[in-house]
Amino acid sequence: MSAHPLPARRWRPGFASWTTLIVGGLLLWSLWAIEASPERLARLPAQLAQVLGFFWPVDWQYGHTRVLPAIVESIQLAWIGTIIGAALSLPLAILGASTLFPWAAKVIKGISATIRAVPEILWALYLVPIVGLGPFAGALALGINSVGMLSKLGAEVVESADLAAMEAVEAAGGSRLAAIRLGLLPQVLPELMAHWLFRFELNLRASAVLGVVGAGGVGGLLLNTLRYRQFEMAAAVLVLTVLVVLAIDMVSGSVRRKLLRG
Amino acid sequence: MNRPAPPPRRLGLWLTILIGLGAMTAWSGISIGFSVSELVCNAAGGSRLLRESWPPDFAFLPRLIGPFLETVQIALIGTVVGAVIAIPVAVLAARPVSPNWLTWILDRNFMNILRTLPDLFWAMLFATAVGFGPLAGALALSVFSVAVISKLFSESVEAIDLNLTEAVRASGGSWLQMIGLGTLPQVWPQYAAYVLYAFELNVRGSMVLGLVGAGGIGMILETQRANFEYERVTMIVLAVLVVVLLIEQFSIAVRRRLT
Amino acid sequence: MSATAASNDVMIRFRGAGVTYPNGVVGLQDVSLDIRQGEFVVIVGSSGAGKSTFLRTINGLTPLSTGTVEVSGQPVPRRQGRDLRQLRARIGMVFQDFRLVRRVSVLNNVLIGRVARVAGWRSVLNLWPRADVELAFSALERVGIVDKAYTRAGELSGGQQQRVGIARALAQEPEVILADEPVASLDPVTCHQVMEDLLRINRELGITTLVNLHFLDLARRYGQRIIGLQQGRLVFDGAGRDVTDADFQRIYGRRPEEDDFLQEAST
Repeated sequence: MSAHPLPARRWRPGFASWTTLIVGGLLLWSLWAIEASPERLARLPAQLAQVLGFFWPVDWQYGHTRVLPAIVESIQLAWIGTIIGAALSLPLAILGASTLFPWAAKVIKGISATIRAVPEILWALYLVPIVGLGPFAGALALGINSVGMLSKLGAEVVESADLAAMEAVEAAGGSRLAAIRLGLLPQVLPELMAHWLFRFELNLRASAVLGVVGAGGVGGLLLNTLRYRQFEMAAAVLVLTVLVVLAIDMVSGSVRRKLLRG
Repeated sequence: MNRPAPPPRRLGLWLTILIGLGAMTAWSGISIGFSVSELVCNAAGGSRLLRESWPPDFAFLPRLIGPFLETVQIALIGTVVGAVIAIPVAVLAARPVSPNWLTWILDRNFMNILRTLPDLFWAMLFATAVGFGPLAGALALSVFSVAVISKLFSESVEAIDLNLTEAVRASGGSWLQMIGLGTLPQVWPQYAAYVLYAFELNVRGSMVLGLVGAGGIGMILETQRANFEYERVTMIVLAVLVVVLLIEQFSIAVRRRLT
Repeated sequence: MSATAASNDVMIRFRGAGVTYPNGVVGLQDVSLDIRQGEFVVIVGSSGAGKSTFLRTINGLTPLSTGTVEVSGQPVPRRQGRDLRQLRARIGMVFQDFRLVRRVSVLNNVLIGRVARVAGWRSVLNLWPRADVELAFSALERVGIVDKAYTRAGELSGGQQQRVGIARALAQEPEVILADEPVASLDPVTCHQVMEDLLRINRELGITTLVNLHFLDLARRYGQRIIGLQQGRLVFDGAGRDVTDADFQRIYGRRPEEDDFLQEAST
């Protein structure tokens, strides 16, 4: 930051340099604490180059027989996690909108904040002994986390929606439920669905991690190949995962843009 | 005036989409062994687990202070290093200020791939290079922070007011001056907010990294879990929850003052 | 001051009606009057005079604090619930900001007017009975925009959107139409078209119509009866053609200014 000695607007004079000093001090202390000596850091580039060299050539045979099925499993558990999240978060998003239900909103926002604070890997930690090793535990873990995230984002979408149309439905003799269905849902559903899709992208990435605690997907494969130093196989896992994730991102991204435009 | 003909219902299209989504869900659900009955049958095992996990082992708390400190240190290093590297990465990937088309497209793809590689991979990669321990974790989080911050930050840079940058350019400034004087000053507050956000993610992420031996609270979590000491696991989870929420509140408070 | 009428053809009856909002603001104070079946009434007053509050007490969108409002002899329920919904089903409302669901078709917006008469599951699944769709179409024909039935409401011009709003009210087959500043967001030409629509519907179908207006010339031109409100109180009640500038001065508490007229740019 100190490389840009510019008095940024809004910032009090001296604030930037003050912050830099403190952060710099903390950084040095942390580096010392984890024993990151200059000598160790100096050796890093060479070490990295050496390790990266192990990844070549890519073991495509392994990619074909083992990685692709695992990626499919990752997609499946991300999908189920997203479906669970979307289904449960829809009512929670509406009940959690402070403009509609000020009382329920406080409770629901508190719960969803707590859910979000726990990383999905910790949910998986508890779910694995309950439902057994495997992708089902992973899907549930992703589902729980998705509910927390999607109800928060969904509530924000509902809060920014125009409630006037709902009053028109009620003025015509419709119940609260009818007002939500006819006056609110058509407004917010495209945006909610865009959030669901985005969450699917995130879940797919997260599912690559869940394998660590035995919750299925491509993560377990990655961990084992790296742990047993089978770098050519790990390379196959990485290349295929990146390609599939990027491809799904592209498709999902274009659908999301379409949803938001329409 | 004549009533218009109803537009084609495109029933087929909607049906296809609906059936497609349903089939995807059913196929996924069956493949991963989703079953409510299993959930119910395992309720006994679940309740035993919950009984074992409660009450949390408070006596274990003092032994968590060291690992927690390490987690925060790892997160801090990762955030600061990542934040510094993210500035050029983000600027070069922002279309209006990127020096040329080739740089833009290369950097953009670099950012996307960076974002796609799981943090777990980085942890293992660095652990292989420098050995298991907190340094590997800090390095992994640095890469992860670059990915998070540069993505968000380059979007902010793309949204800046270009008149100012052009003014610097018009008065004969170099590209570096245009960035330093015309571009970055407009986005420092957003930058600071993203850095704080990355710090939040890193505290959470360092928990995951610990599971594969890259230091911090995750490492002690993994040992207790492997030994089925669930009372201690619960203690760790609760402590994590408190720390994460505290950091989140702190970060929200700071961000509110910035923007 | 209040028009007394034979009780059998009284549509709306206010007695000592008052509204005090939770923040202490008085919206309406001790209003007593009768509106006969089939009347076309224009309510005037400066902004904040309680025009909206007055209309909204009739369908219970704003509950009364004191006094009573009756619609064809039945008091407006103060609580949310089935009784209130059944009353609202008989009262159509037209809003200044149209209050359409912009993302759905004009036809679906008009069908919202049928919500109280149709089984809940049908409205939830968007499967409206044929007879109700027919009603929605004839409501659109009456306001002359049936050709836009399948267009998205958000794509229409302001005047067209307000006609959809009127059609939605008509689809309720209402006994009363309440129009809250229906022309305030429209240009002068469409203003008159929308007012003509409301007047024609009142004449042809005999629906009792209450319209809030800000513009004095519009009020004088369309109001068979004009009700003046000032700070929530009833300060004028008389025939439109008799109303003088002095009366307006009394209602507004000041001389009428240019802003209070919708310049007769065209008719």
